[in-house]
Formats: sequence, structure tokens, C-alpha cells
Amino acid sequence: MEIIDSNRLADTCPLLTEKAEVADTPERFVFTGSGSEYFRIWIVNLLLSIVTLGIYSAWAKVRKTRYFYDNTTLAGASFDYHGNPWSILRGRIIAALFFGAYNVAFSMSSMAGFVMLAMLGMIMPWTIWKSLQFKLYNSSYRGIRFGFAGSMGKIYYVYFLLPVVTLLTAYLLAPFAHQRMKKFQHEQSRYGDTHFSFHASAGKFYGAYLLALAIAVIGIFMIGIAFGGTFVGLKESGLKHAGTAAIGSFLLFVAALCIWIFSLFPVFLTLLQNLIWNNTRLGDHRFACHMTLGRMVFITVTNMLGVIATLGLFIPFAQIRMMKYRIESMSLMPADTLDSFITDTQAKASATGEGMVDVFDLDLSL
Amino acid sequence: MAILIPAFYFDGKTSRRLTVSLTVEGDIALVTGEASRTCPLGDLRVSERLRNASRKVTFPDGAYLEIRDNTAFNAMLKTTGHQDSFVVEIQQSWHGALVACALTAAVLLLGYVYGLPTAAKTIAHALPAQMDHMIGHETLSVLDSSMLAPSQLPPAQRDAIVKRFKSLSPPRKGTPSYEILFRKSKVGPNAFALPSGQIVLTDELVKLVNDEDAVMGVLSHELGHLHERHLMQRILQSSIIGAGATVLFGDVSSLIATIPTIMLDLKYARDAEREADDYAIEMMKANSISPVMLIHTFKKLEDQSSKQLPYLSSHPPGAERMERIRDAQ
Repeated sequence: MEIIDSNRLADTCPLLTEKAEVADTPERFVFTGSGSEYFRIWIVNLLLSIVTLGIYSAWAKVRKTRYFYDNTTLAGASFDYHGNPWSILRGRIIAALFFGAYNVAFSMSSMAGFVMLAMLGMIMPWTIWKSLQFKLYNSSYRGIRFGFAGSMGKIYYVYFLLPVVTLLTAYLLAPFAHQRMKKFQHEQSRYGDTHFSFHASAGKFYGAYLLALAIAVIGIFMIGIAFGGTFVGLKESGLKHAGTAAIGSFLLFVAALCIWIFSLFPVFLTLLQNLIWNNTRLGDHRFACHMTLGRMVFITVTNMLGVIATLGLFIPFAQIRMMKYRIESMSLMPADTLDSFITDTQAKASATGEGMVDVFDLDLSL
Repeated sequence: MAILIPAFYFDGKTSRRLTVSLTVEGDIALVTGEASRTCPLGDLRVSERLRNASRKVTFPDGAYLEIRDNTAFNAMLKTTGHQDSFVVEIQQSWHGALVACALTAAVLLLGYVYGLPTAAKTIAHALPAQMDHMIGHETLSVLDSSMLAPSQLPPAQRDAIVKRFKSLSPPRKGTPSYEILFRKSKVGPNAFALPSGQIVLTDELVKLVNDEDAVMGVLSHELGHLHERHLMQRILQSSIIGAGATVLFGDVSSLIATIPTIMLDLKYARDAEREADDYAIEMMKANSISPVMLIHTFKKLEDQSSKQLPYLSSHPPGAERMERIRDAQ
């Protein structure tokens, strides 16, 4: 009988020796996925999805999600995904039918198109709700499933009424609507029978939006100043007489502007992800998220250049890089031991509520 | 000799992590330590092999073991006769991944060059013609209010053109019903076919070619588009390409997903023009009109549009089109 000595055990699992009572030390989320390994999973998923005319994409999604979950660990345990590929396939077929109907409607007449668009807008909140339930119910950590409650009234308030009002107020309400949406998402989520809570006010969302806007404007202003001289030159001599140097710097200006505008999305995402997770709690446990703007912009821009330069082959590496940074920026600050969560027995009993969760999933990413 | 593997056990009811050991005796898995249970091997589900991730062994009731020592666990799996699935085997070998890469490229290329055009053509011809009409019935009124004005050609000339074209026999059977309309263009000489069956001929084009045989050639080219159901085919092709690009690149950027869609679709646009040219050549030969008239038309149209960018065009190069007509004689 071979007995593995405790040293080796501690070696393979450093967290085994940690005491459960030691609270307050932050537990970092760790992501162990590798680009080269995920590339192989991705290319096989892609090939099989194409040759099966998309049918395999449901199984591909399960493999991909399992890969991400299995490689995400917190306090020495990893996450697990339980999504049933048949439910995912059903969701995709429904989505494909909607997409087809929408395209046909718009090519027939713009009237039919708008009617179809309005109908989709009516159904969308419900499908988002079901997808959230599917996603959370099929995710688990330490053998305890997550869950999502929600109600018809709230889902239509957050995903229909607020977006419409936001549009009507020329996006002035966007930060408010965003805050209400996140608040709804997080407060309706639970881990076992423990609820998440959300503490970021709408004011803080306005702050983040304004900061993102300010960064955007300052950037455009700086690019404008840096290239300003060239324009004066171009204007005076006219385009026809402009030298190649002037045209070259004009192209540089356009490129700089493009990259800057492309960088705004990660800037926005960083501000928001930090805000959202620093204000989320699970019971008494808090989360912390410390992504930095420079690093996120660097990852996003180099990822985009990599994907273009390799005609898409860099996509899996890009996804892993981004995922690793976003996950490893997060940590959990336990208020207590993580051993005492219990599964939500009531949720399973109410068949109408979560009995529907496995009906379909509408997340369409491959 | 039994192998004892360290593991964590989670019972599926609480988040408590229990330190246990896993061993296999015959067909039974044995868990000992802070928890103890037994289970037939056949009832256990083992997660797929990955490089860094720990393995999970799940019991029928949702309880599971998390195992970090992948080397020892793989050795244990070997003794139980557990087999990785075929997909896992490919995913975990570079050889398999390279083959998958080459096959993906081959399938995409063949699908683009042969598969999709053939499928789209078959589907387009199988769909009832009324569908094309539904798609196109608004287009003319939109164009009339923006880019077109009533024709100023003498009615006699218009009637003569329509009468002459109707008297020509099309090269193939099953010609769709069509209508020839005359309009004055605000954007230069042009002729086009709408899926609803209208062939629109602009005054500017009639004046530019200045020859009735050449006008017949232009009209037969447009009839070719209708007869081949090109518009329906193009709609099908571009929506499939668009959906594919979105699935592939949508995660990265929707802009990156749009660029290949437009580029790839241009080839199909040029293919449709070539087919319509071939149709026109056949139709002219069938009616003993010299297809050379078409060459003059293309030449004149090309001179008109030579100020445009020559590449990224939705039409084949004029020289190539003229060459094809000469070859057809």
C-alpha cells in the first residue's frame, strides 16, 4: 500500500494546511487556464461546430465553460459547470429562429422589421431572466449550486422599462438604469441559501460614467493637440499639395484616434467591474476587485492586434489572457469560515420557480 | 497494491471541505478519512483531463471529490480501465490540434467556395417566387422618392425597347414574370433588377450605349439576375456569413466581425455578375444578336466609372468581362 506522505500532500495543495478559522485574510481568485491548452480545445470545438452545422456548438459551450470553471479556484476549491448541452441546443435553435425571422422581416419591409423588433424587445427580458437562472443554477462551488430568483415584474422594470426611459431621456438615465440592473442581478443571486447583496449607489455609477467620459474627452483632446500642427499645415497648403509626411501623420492621427476609441471600452469595463465587485457581498463576506486601467487597455489593444495579425488564431489566447487578468484581480474577504454554506433546499422544492431553469439557455457565445 | 490518493470531499449539501483519501478495490471506489463512503465505479462521473485543473469525481447524488494530484490519479484511472473520450484525446495532443486546424481551414475554404453558393442556390430556387416579391416590393418606391425621377425618353422609343425585348426568346425555360420600367436617374447611367420582378432602365444608360442591340444585352443581363434568383441567394449567403463571423469574432469586437463579412460577400457579388453576363451572352446568341454589343456597353460603363477605386468592386473587372464575351463567340 502506497501512502502519500503529508509533505507531498502539502506540496500539491498548499491550501490544505491553512486553518479554516483564520478569517479576514483575503482569498485570491486564481486562474490556471493556459492559452496553448485552450487553443486546442477551441480549435476542436470550432471544427466540430462547423462540420455539424452548429449543432455541436452547444457541447462546445459546455466544454469551454467547464474549462474556465475548472481552472478557476478560490480557497483551494474550483468551480464546476453543470449545463446540459441539450438545453443549450434548444436555446440556440430558438435564438436562430428569432434571428432568421428578424432578418426576413426587415428585408420584407421596414414596418414588418420594426414590429418584429418590438416583439423581440417584449420577449427579451424574459429570455434574459431564464438565461441568468440557467447560468447560475448550473454553476457550483464546493458542491453548492448558485441560484437566481427574480420576478416577472422586476425583470420587465429593469430590462424593458428602464432601457426605454433611458432612450427617451437621451441616455441621461443610463448610469441609473445600469445601477438598477446590477443591483437586481446581484441581489437576486444566491450561493446555496445565502444571498448576495449590492451596495453601490446610483451616484457612484454616475461618478464612474463621468470619469470614463472625462478620460475619453481628455484623450481625444491630447491626440488633437499632438497632431494639431499637421492640420494647420494641411489646411494652408491644401490636400493636393500636402507632402507625404503630412499625409502620413494624418493617417497616424486616424490610427491613434481609432486605438483610443477602442481603448475606451476596457477603461469603462475596468471602472465598472471595480465598482461593482467592491460593493458586492455574499452574506457577510466581501469581495474586492483591483483592476488597473493601464493594464486592461494594454491587454485589450494587444489582444485586438494579435487577433487581426493572426486572422483569428490568437482568439483563444486573447480570451485566456483577458480572463486571467479579470479573475485574478478579484479576491474574497471572508468574514468567517467558507465551510458553513448550505444548499438551498426550498428552491429545489418549488417546481414552478426553478423547474423552468433548465428549459433553455440563450447565451450564444461559442 | 492499492493506490491511495489524497482528495477533498464535498457532500453537495454544505460547503464543508473534508480531507479524504480515495482508493479503488475491484469495481468499488472507497473514500476514507473525514468522510467515508463507497460507490460502484460505473456510477461515478470523472471530469475531463486538463493540464492544470484538478479532477472532479462526482457521485450520483451530486457529492464530489476534488483531486489535485493529477499524475497519481491518471495512474489510478489507468488501472480501472477508464478511457478519455475521443475529443479529449484530440484536445490534449498538439498533433490532433494541428490536424483540427488544417481541417477547419479546409472546411471553411471549401464551404465558402463551393458549399455555401450551392446550398444558397438550391434553397433560393426552392423558395416560392412570391417571397422575392415580398422582399422587394418596397424598394422601388424608396428609390423613386430618392434617386429616380420619371423617364423623359420618348414613349415610342420606350415601347420599341420593351416590344423588342419581349420578342426575344430567353435561353432557358421558366422565365419569371417581369416588367421593364424607365426612369431618369439622379446618379448616372444604371440598370438594375428588383426581386419583385421590375427591371429598371435609366434614360442615361439608354443614351450612353446609344444602340438598341446593346440595350437588349443590358436587359438580358438583368433578366439573368431575376432568372437565377440572385437576390434571394445573396441574402441567404450574406446572412450565413454574417452569423458565422459573429459567432467566431463577435467576442472580440463586432467591428472585426463586420469587416470579413463585407470582404467575403464581395466575391459572391462578382460571381452573380458573371452568371448574369453568361446568361446575357446565351440569350443574345439564341436570338442571333452579336454579344460584341455587350463589350461596347461594358467599355462605356467602365469609362464612366473609371474614377472609382478599381479594387473592392462588386463587379468583375471590365477587361475580364469583355474577355469572357470574346471567348463565348
